[in-house]
Amino acid sequence: MKRFGQRFTAIFFILASLALLIFGRSQTNLIEQSRAQIFEVFIPAIVIVDIPRTATAGFSQWIRRIAVVFSDNEFLREENADLKRQLIASTELEIDNLRLKNLLLIKDGTVTTITASRIVSDSNSPFFKSMLINSGTNDGVKKGHAVVNEEGVVGRTINVSGNSARVLIINDINSRIPVKFSETGVNVILAGDNSGLQKIEFMPPDEKANVGDQILTSGMGGIFPPDLPVGNVSEITELGEIKIEPAVNLNRLNYVSVIEYEIASFPVLNQADAQAQGELEPEEGGAQW
Amino acid sequence: MVNISQSKENSYGFKAVIPFLTILFLIIIMVLPYKIPLISDIMPFLTLIGVYYWSVFKPELLPIGVVFILGLLQDVLLGSPLGLMPLLLIVVQQFIYMQGRQFLERDFLFNWFVFVMIVSGFGFLSWGIASIYFKTLLDYWSILGQIFLTIAFYPIITGLLGITRKLVDR
Repeated sequence: MKRFGQRFTAIFFILASLALLIFGRSQTNLIEQSRAQIFEVFIPAIVIVDIPRTATAGFSQWIRRIAVVFSDNEFLREENADLKRQLIASTELEIDNLRLKNLLLIKDGTVTTITASRIVSDSNSPFFKSMLINSGTNDGVKKGHAVVNEEGVVGRTINVSGNSARVLIINDINSRIPVKFSETGVNVILAGDNSGLQKIEFMPPDEKANVGDQILTSGMGGIFPPDLPVGNVSEITELGEIKIEPAVNLNRLNYVSVIEYEIASFPVLNQADAQAQGELEPEEGGAQW
Repeated sequence: MVNISQSKENSYGFKAVIPFLTILFLIIIMVLPYKIPLISDIMPFLTLIGVYYWSVFKPELLPIGVVFILGLLQDVLLGSPLGLMPLLLIVVQQFIYMQGRQFLERDFLFNWFVFVMIVSGFGFLSWGIASIYFKTLLDYWSILGQIFLTIAFYPIITGLLGITRKLVDR
């Protein structure tokens, strides 16, 4: 009798798991909310268990930094001088750019940096590429915000709780990002396939790509602001598949920024209307990216 | 018979949660952000080792409902489809019961050998289910890496679990 009972519970739980797998696919709000609540609870535990690892990693990094402090210093001095020169040039260009945009009545969307967050957990799975960060709705993070670092695009938030959020990384098989080739401006889609390289989808047949071409976000879709670095063409296979190496070193992520992009309203083509609405004023503090 | 096993279960007191906690700890170890190239693709199935170990040596402390909850927790923390891990872990546990766990309670090398077969089945089943779930043929090379690494980690993890088992028995 007991044996029968055990069999029955086993079958019950197997069916329950299968049901979850099948019906959980639709990612209903309820499932999403419960997932978020659960990982929220476990984040402190993850952080505590992670202490020895972060401590040793921090220590070895400190040793490494000390070892290269002199050579780094010299390199940074040179780089600083170089950057100062570039800053002057780019400021001039920025002013120029703003003036021309105002002439053309182009309006940029606004990009707001919501928060900087630390990565607290990683899927570490060959099939699922996502991570948890330690900022959530309490910091202003919402589902569908872009996640970037100084090198470029990392991913986007897909599940947000009070103090944490799950970020779908660009190399996940479910990740699709609207991007463009920086030189030609051809709009395509960047698709992850769980490997280190991403691939380009919907490449127009009459367009050509070359190894080394830079890929930027196109700003379509409204999640990622335009012109963020995404990666470079690293390889074009014999079948014509274009492989992209991400700009961000995904193996070295520690901190990321969550940004919000708001698309500007379409430019007003009729000058008289625009003047009537008082929209000819130059816009300050537009895109920072 | 039922009463005896019942009272045995009760006599563990709060130590009865040790298997649950150890497997939970293994889940957390699996999701730490290591940032070591490759490790994120061939992370060993540590929870499988935990479930296998406790199902063989202290099955009364790892009822199927607990395995289900642990699997769900792993899915939530990893970001994998809900239900994947509970399904796989419960299938493994039922397989052990069907084979007769007394049979496995004997010697370490034999156990390891059986585990090699279980982990291979587990790995390819997870690959198969994930492939169906994403409706695409996923890469299986990393699964092979995961399987080998899990086999390699088996003695270490079971050694550590052996220490906690002594805590339970004390």
